[in-house]
Amino acid sequence: MEFQPKIIAFLCNWCSYTGADLAGTSRIKYAPNIRVIRVMCSGRVDPTFVLKSFTEGADGVLICGCHPGDCHYHEGNYKCLRRYHLLVKYIEQMGIRPERLRLEWVSASEGKIFAEIVNEMVQTVKALGPSEVKTVVETLT
Amino acid sequence: MEEVKIGVYVCWCGTNIAKMVDVEEVAKEIGKYPNVVIARDYKYMCSDPGQELIINDIKKLGLNRVVVSACSPRIHELTFRKALEKAGLNPYLFEMANIREQDSWVHTDRVEATRKAKDLVRAALHKVLFHEPLSERTVEINPATLVIGGGIAGMSAALEIAGAGKKVYLVEKMESLGGMMARLDLTFPGLESARDNLQLTVARVMKDPNIEVYTNTVIRDIFGYVGNFECIISPNFKEDISLQFGNVVVATGLKTFDPSVIPEYKYGQLPDIYTSHEFEGMLTSGRIVRKDGRPPENVAIIHCVGSRNRNYHEYCSRVCCMTALKYANQLRSALPEANIFEIYADMRAMGKGCEELYSLSSRRKIMFLMFDQQGPLPVIRKAGSRDKCDYLITLQEKLSGQDIEVPADMVILMVGTEAREDAKEVAHQVGISMCGNAFFIEKHPKLDPVATTTNGVYIVGSCQGPKDIPDSISQARAAAARILGTIAQGSVTVEVTTANVNEELCCGCQTCIKVCPYTAISFKEEEKVSFVNEILCKGCGTCGSACPTGAITCRHFTDRQLINQIEGLMRMDVEPELKEV
Repeated sequence: MEFQPKIIAFLCNWCSYTGADLAGTSRIKYAPNIRVIRVMCSGRVDPTFVLKSFTEGADGVLICGCHPGDCHYHEGNYKCLRRYHLLVKYIEQMGIRPERLRLEWVSASEGKIFAEIVNEMVQTVKALGPSEVKTVVETLT
Repeated sequence: MEEVKIGVYVCWCGTNIAKMVDVEEVAKEIGKYPNVVIARDYKYMCSDPGQELIINDIKKLGLNRVVVSACSPRIHELTFRKALEKAGLNPYLFEMANIREQDSWVHTDRVEATRKAKDLVRAALHKVLFHEPLSERTVEINPATLVIGGGIAGMSAALEIAGAGKKVYLVEKMESLGGMMARLDLTFPGLESARDNLQLTVARVMKDPNIEVYTNTVIRDIFGYVGNFECIISPNFKEDISLQFGNVVVATGLKTFDPSVIPEYKYGQLPDIYTSHEFEGMLTSGRIVRKDGRPPENVAIIHCVGSRNRNYHEYCSRVCCMTALKYANQLRSALPEANIFEIYADMRAMGKGCEELYSLSSRRKIMFLMFDQQGPLPVIRKAGSRDKCDYLITLQEKLSGQDIEVPADMVILMVGTEAREDAKEVAHQVGISMCGNAFFIEKHPKLDPVATTTNGVYIVGSCQGPKDIPDSISQARAAAARILGTIAQGSVTVEVTTANVNEELCCGCQTCIKVCPYTAISFKEEEKVSFVNEILCKGCGTCGSACPTGAITCRHFTDRQLINQIEGLMRMDVEPELKEV
């Protein structure tokens, strides 16, 4: 059976979550591997949440926020961007492939783009196979 | 500690969810979890009987947490929170799982969609365990209102609010009031003078003692929150004035499409090709003549210029068809012998009296020719010396199926409407969002068309989408009614999901102060700890993610709640941890 990854997505309430809802109201189909957690702002995405997702066995983590300059809270997405770059380096050092973490800007009107991002990411993660974290845990136990 | 008793409700949404998600299976599975006292599925949870189900269960079973798995929380979170409140439970002891917009509507495999629904509900269950009761806070409303834009929509809102005895600051960028309507000669469908109606309105605005008009004025900055906004304006670009107000009406209008980007129409290259707005000016001046002073013998009016076309704007600009018919009628009266051609894609004559105007026009010797908006556009070219006209327009006439040539001495391009260039700037100032076409987004497309997701900010008229005069006025008055409602209440509830600092854990590093976009956090020098001003805090949670010691709690999105939500998503097994809460 084909490997079905599980990807956790943190979506900001104002742009990206609304964009994901728009994909729904427009009935745009995408891969079912994504599990969304709503936060008010991408700036709320604490690095701990990303690391926790990986330790819990997520095969990928997607963070979506408002486009630069469009943040509902002015600049939360910039804070998120800075943390993202550090996180990518960090997970790489932990032995997790950096492609498993992705940050994208999705506006409230970009339902189609959200669907495309999800599909793309599912493809990428499928190609990478199950998360390195899971392999380590399985070896150890 | 009180035992946690959770009620879980899985909505069918008719067939919207039930078709793709096995809702009964989801309810059955979730019912197995500890602390879940009841798990039900029901056809329409948002309906009155659906809400009653929750209310009765809370009362009878003593539920102290509720999870509803249905549509997006953006649609019905408030509905269910109110149901909890009705049953005497704090509305924040509630969580929604979105299994419609983000599940049943976007997936095609029932097994996968059902699995996803279970994950999402389980995650909600894990999160709601750590929800805490939050009490709503209220702030007093400043009874003054700021109206941005002095067009017909802005003026109508101002008059309505001022009519109730409340102060209005009406700010207009241009030198005079009137906006787009000031450029119109007659209005459709009744062919009445736009100027007469507009002047009446302007006169009422200028005379109203409750309206302070600032023309030739830009807004520098707006800050604050519902009930207590403040802005800096600089009238006539001179010294700055500060205004205080409780609500904002955005009525910034629209602009017209520039047809020079459409090569087929040669606008700006050939002399007697006018935009509808330029032609409107000609009508107002009372002289319909070519550049060389001769009256035209053939006039062609081309519809849908920049509208309903994938290359330009996909949407319908709504007012152009009727405006084009208005022109045809005015032309017929002014030039009884001229040939008048309406070159249209589809005739949109919806609205009171509009179909009648269409029917009247067709009886006044006006030739209607149809082109296919999906096919090639009509092409305008200069006529030859032997032709008895200045231009020739070639088009594939859709109804006859023939390629034809239309003679013209004057061409009127019915230009579409689009969002203004400064829409983004305005959106930023007041904190609202724009759709893909840069029109402002309303709070709910059907149920809340003039409010926005920012409390206290309302959008009226064409800044929300193309609109005619009566619709703009209706919206303006609707917003006025909403604002007068909040003013009458005297106070409004504000964000409760704010951040707060646990002073025991705060190390005084002040990182939170640096990241806060609202300067809501300050430093208490004596105690060497940070402090959140909860009136200024908007609950973005950025400080919570930056705090190195975990001293900051972002209410309703706490670290504990979100980490638990992640665990809920990833762990399939029944969690023994649940019992210990």
